[in-house]
Amino acid sequence: MGVRKLSAADRMYTSVNYLLLLIFCLTALYPFIYFLALSFNDGYDAMKGGIYFFPRVSTLENYSKAFHNPHILKSFWISISRTVVVTVGSTLLTALLAYGLSRKGLPGRKYIVFFFFFTTLFSGGLIPTFILYRELHILNTYWVLVLPSLYSFFNAIIMKTFFDGIPLGLSESARIDGASELSVFWRIILPLSMPVMATIALFVGVGVWNDWFTGQFFIQNENLQPAATFLNKMISEASFQSMTGSSSGSAIQNMNQNQMTLRGVTPEALRMTFVIIITAPIICVYPFLQKYFVKGVLVGSLKE
Amino acid sequence: MIAKEARVEVMPDVLPLKKNKTWAKVWSFRAIYLFMLPAFIWYVVFCYYPMYGILIAFKDFKYNLGILHSPWEGLRFFKQFLSDSSFYSVLYNTLSISFLKLLLGFPAPLILALMLNGVMHNKLKRIFQTISYLPHFVSWVVVVTLMQKILSPNVGLVNDIRDHMGLKPIFFMGMPSLFYPLVVISDIWKGVGWGSIIYLAALTNIDPHLYEAAEMDGAGRWSKLFKITLPCLTPTIGILLIFSLSGVLNAGFDQIWLMQTPATLSVSEILDTYVLKTGIQQGQFAYSTAIGLFKSVISLILIVAVNKVSKKVSDVSLW
Repeated sequence: MGVRKLSAADRMYTSVNYLLLLIFCLTALYPFIYFLALSFNDGYDAMKGGIYFFPRVSTLENYSKAFHNPHILKSFWISISRTVVVTVGSTLLTALLAYGLSRKGLPGRKYIVFFFFFTTLFSGGLIPTFILYRELHILNTYWVLVLPSLYSFFNAIIMKTFFDGIPLGLSESARIDGASELSVFWRIILPLSMPVMATIALFVGVGVWNDWFTGQFFIQNENLQPAATFLNKMISEASFQSMTGSSSGSAIQNMNQNQMTLRGVTPEALRMTFVIIITAPIICVYPFLQKYFVKGVLVGSLKE
Repeated sequence: MIAKEARVEVMPDVLPLKKNKTWAKVWSFRAIYLFMLPAFIWYVVFCYYPMYGILIAFKDFKYNLGILHSPWEGLRFFKQFLSDSSFYSVLYNTLSISFLKLLLGFPAPLILALMLNGVMHNKLKRIFQTISYLPHFVSWVVVVTLMQKILSPNVGLVNDIRDHMGLKPIFFMGMPSLFYPLVVISDIWKGVGWGSIIYLAALTNIDPHLYEAAEMDGAGRWSKLFKITLPCLTPTIGILLIFSLSGVLNAGFDQIWLMQTPATLSVSEILDTYVLKTGIQQGQFAYSTAIGLFKSVISLILIVAVNKVSKKVSDVSLW
C-alpha cells in the first residue's frame, strides 16, 4: 500500500493515543523519580514537603549512611550472593531438565512431562512446605534461601520450546562423531541458546532478588536476612511506630534512632534511599535483555 | 557401545524380543535421564513430599510423633472452618478482590497492547514498551513502599498537593473503603505492561492483507478493530482467561499481605494471608493445612473444569 494521507480523525486518534501512552509511562516512571529526588535530599528538609522532581537541599549523606550501615550491607551481601548462586544453579539445572524434555524419542517422555506439569496444578500448600523445611533442617539457614528456588516448570518449558527449534541435525551429527550427551549439551546446545539462557537468568535473578517472603517467614537470624526482607521490616516497623507512636527496642529502630541524632539523615530518607539502591540493579539490567525475554515469554506461553 | 546401539537402531528386525528393544532404547538415553535426575529428586522432595504432608489436615499433628504417627482427627478441621464465620468473610474478601481484579485488570493489558500497536514510530514504541515493563520487575515490597510514601498523610505527594489546594490530608492506606481501589489500581499499574507482551505478539501475527482488504471495502478504524483485530485475538484472550479464572482463589498474597494494615483487616484478610496467620504465626498447623487444601482442591477443579468447557466451546485449551 502506498503512503496514505491521514484524515483529520486519524490524526486526532493518533495524538490522543500518544498522549495517553505518555501519561501512562509517566505514572510508571514517576514514583521512582520522586524517590530519587527524595533520596538525594536532606532528610529534615524533606519533611517540609514540596519536593517533586529535583532535590531542594542536595546531599549524598543518605547514600553514605546507607552504605556504611552494617545491617544494610549485610542484607545486600546475602541478597547478592544468593542471587548469583541461585541464578547460575537454576539456569543450568533447568537447562538440563529442559534439554531432556525436548529430546524426541525419549522413552516415557509423556509421563515425565506430566510428572513435572502436575506440580503447577496442585501443591501441598504452605504448612506442609514449612514442615518439610523443618524436617530438612534448612529453616533459618542459608540453604532455605537457595534450594527451594532452584526449579520452575514454567522456565523449563520456555527453554524446552527454544531447544525444540534447534535443528536436530546439529546434535545428531555430533553424536555420530562420538560426542557424549554432556558434550553435545555443553558445546552445541548451550552456545546456541544464549538468548534463552539470558532470559531465564533474568527471570530467576529478579525473582530471587525481589523475594522477601523466604527471609520473613523461614529465617529468624538477622544476619541472614535478604535486602528485600530487611526493607519490608524497616517499613512495617515504621508504620507500626507511626500508628502507635511507640518505639520498641528492635534492632532496626535502634539503628534508625542512632541515625536520627546525626545531621540530615532521617529514617524516612534512609528508606527512600534503600528503595532506590534495591531497585537500581534491576533497572540497569532488564532493558538490555528486553528483546530476548519478549520472544521467550511468547514461545513459552503460546506454543505449549 | 554407541556404535553397537546404532546398529540396533538401523536393523530393528534383528532383535525379535520387543522388550529388549525398549530397554536398549532406555539404556541409550541413560545420559538424558541422568540430566533430569536432579530435577526429579528436587520435585519429589519440594513438590510431592508436601503433598503427602497434606495428611496433616486430617490429623492432630504433633511434631514428636511426625506426620504418619499423629492421631487421626478425620474431618474435624474442615467442619471447624465451615462453621467459622471468619472463614466466610475471608472467602468473601478473596473472591471480591479476585473478581474486581479480573473485571478491571483483565482488559487493561489488551487495551494497552492495542494502543501500543497504534504507535507507528518504532523507536518510540520500544521506549513506551520498556517503560511499561518496569513495574513488573520491581518487588511488591518496593511498590508498597512507593505507595505508602506517595499516599502518606505525613508529607506524601498526594496529601502534599491536597494541602496546597486547602484540603485535609487523608490516610489512604488505612481506610477500609479505599483498600480495594488501591489494590486494583496498584495491581494494574504493576502488571499491565508485562501482560501486554502476549497480545502484542498476537497482533503482529495478524495478516496485514486482512486490513488492506477491509480498507478497500471502506471499513473504518472501529469496524476493523471489532471485525478483524478482536476476532483474531480471541484464542489468546481465551487462554489468558482460563488462567485468570482458575486463579480466582489467588487474590495475590504478596500484594495483600504487604498492603494490609490493622485498620483494613476486615476487608483485606484473604485465604492465603489467613492460612499464614493461623498456620505459621499461631501454630494451628492442621486447621491451616485444611484451609490450604480446600483452596488447592477448588483451584484444581476450577482449572480442569474451565479448561474442559473452553475446549468444548472454543477449541482453546491448556492441554
